[in-house]
Amino acid sequence: MWFDILPSFWEGTKITIELTLFSAVIAFFLAFAAGFGRLSKFRAVRLLAATYVEVFRGTSLFVQLFWIYFALPLFGIMLPKMVAGVLALSLNAGAYGSEIVRSTLISVPKGQSEAAIALNMTPWQRTRLVILPQALVMMLPAFGNLIIELLKGTALVSLITLSDLTFVATVLNSSIMRPTEIFSVLLIIYFVISLPFTKGIQWIEHRLSAGRY
Amino acid sequence: MSVPLKLIYNEDPTKNIGSEVRKNIVRPIVTYNNISKSYGDLQVLKNIDLEIAPGEKVALIGPSGSGKTTLARLLMTLEEPTSGTIEVEGEMLWHQRVNDKLIKANEKHLHQVRGNIGMVFQHFNLFPHMTILRNVMEAPRNVLGLSKDEAKERAVKMLEQVGLSSKIDAYPAQLSGGQKQRVAIARALVMRPKVMLFDEPTSALDPELVGEVLEVIKAIASEGEMAMLLITHEMDFAKDVADRILFFDQGKIIEQGPPKKIFNNPESERLQTFLSRFNRH
Repeated sequence: MWFDILPSFWEGTKITIELTLFSAVIAFFLAFAAGFGRLSKFRAVRLLAATYVEVFRGTSLFVQLFWIYFALPLFGIMLPKMVAGVLALSLNAGAYGSEIVRSTLISVPKGQSEAAIALNMTPWQRTRLVILPQALVMMLPAFGNLIIELLKGTALVSLITLSDLTFVATVLNSSIMRPTEIFSVLLIIYFVISLPFTKGIQWIEHRLSAGRY
Repeated sequence: MSVPLKLIYNEDPTKNIGSEVRKNIVRPIVTYNNISKSYGDLQVLKNIDLEIAPGEKVALIGPSGSGKTTLARLLMTLEEPTSGTIEVEGEMLWHQRVNDKLIKANEKHLHQVRGNIGMVFQHFNLFPHMTILRNVMEAPRNVLGLSKDEAKERAVKMLEQVGLSSKIDAYPAQLSGGQKQRVAIARALVMRPKVMLFDEPTSALDPELVGEVLEVIKAIASEGEMAMLLITHEMDFAKDVADRILFFDQGKIIEQGPPKKIFNNPESERLQTFLSRFNRH
């Protein structure tokens, strides 16, 4: 039996990893854009960023996914399953990520930007040389959590019949009816995928804070 | 504790002339015109007029909360005056003249004028993610546009002056408070400002570390070229270094004059009371 089902698990695993990686990269950019946007001196930018964040934090990922996949076609936008999945996941994670970016940026002590002003740095230099490097170290643990959340969130795409890990498992289960084995394997695979992300973040965190505190 | 110092001692030809006289022969480097600052209902500065001559060392003394720090922060553009104007070398700091009307200065204008000013903070505010060397060379490199080698050379020289050349690869967290403050002084000096502000530079230090920092500041002061505004609670130090002492209380300059007069012959009752608190110890 295992000989037959393992290859399909492997196919599902690949889809899940792809979904996670693509979404994580896009979410990362969205998080910075919206995080900085909320601290912008322009009202319009702040408003735009806040609207995005509140809409995507305030509604469930499940509904967002369905809306993008099933409702958008009514407006003439038909997206492939994979694109719809990545879009929903990254928009959602990006909204949460922007709060991480915003809150760490403002938690860098005020004396730091004052020292940068006293050295006559431009606003962009203050951010790039002084604020961001310090905020980044604080962001990492939270980003680590977010990426794991994202990985687990990918399971929802099975509901739009994208053949990810969870989808493969449910299909297999309905044909061979061995829930204990199948879902145990599923559990283990998700855990194994999450390990490199956790370790990777820890490694970066360690590198970035070396010698400092 | 003595600190190795290699400062160049330039005799200022006007040094022995009283600061009142010097003001008349040279254009002030800093002028506060009728400056007031309020936070809501609380007025921390009340119509301050003050001129600082190039190279003049002015010490600000007075009780906590009297507005001394705010006066310095306005000049460093960390805080905006509620009313009044500040000029640096005859140029408006917080305002721009457009078609004969004064408007609020934009970031570009502030950037231009504040290059003349440097500041040392009570809590050092070193950049914790950079080595000591990078703390000092980052601004020359990025703000003054020096090459990496030039910036490094200048930074190393400056760190030698404050006696910390052995620490260039350390991070701020590995230094004592006194060492941190000396790095902060080097970081401000390396930009070669015409006016340096010291905001209670030794107030956050353990008592045994105060001396090394004061010695460094004294050595810089004796170079003569740079004007200094020193906010301090170290009365002996103020007496030693300053050409002029300003006594601040409740947002106003109550009394000012050369150190001898201020400390030996205080006129106002408030200054007498303030000084008597120090003499008791």
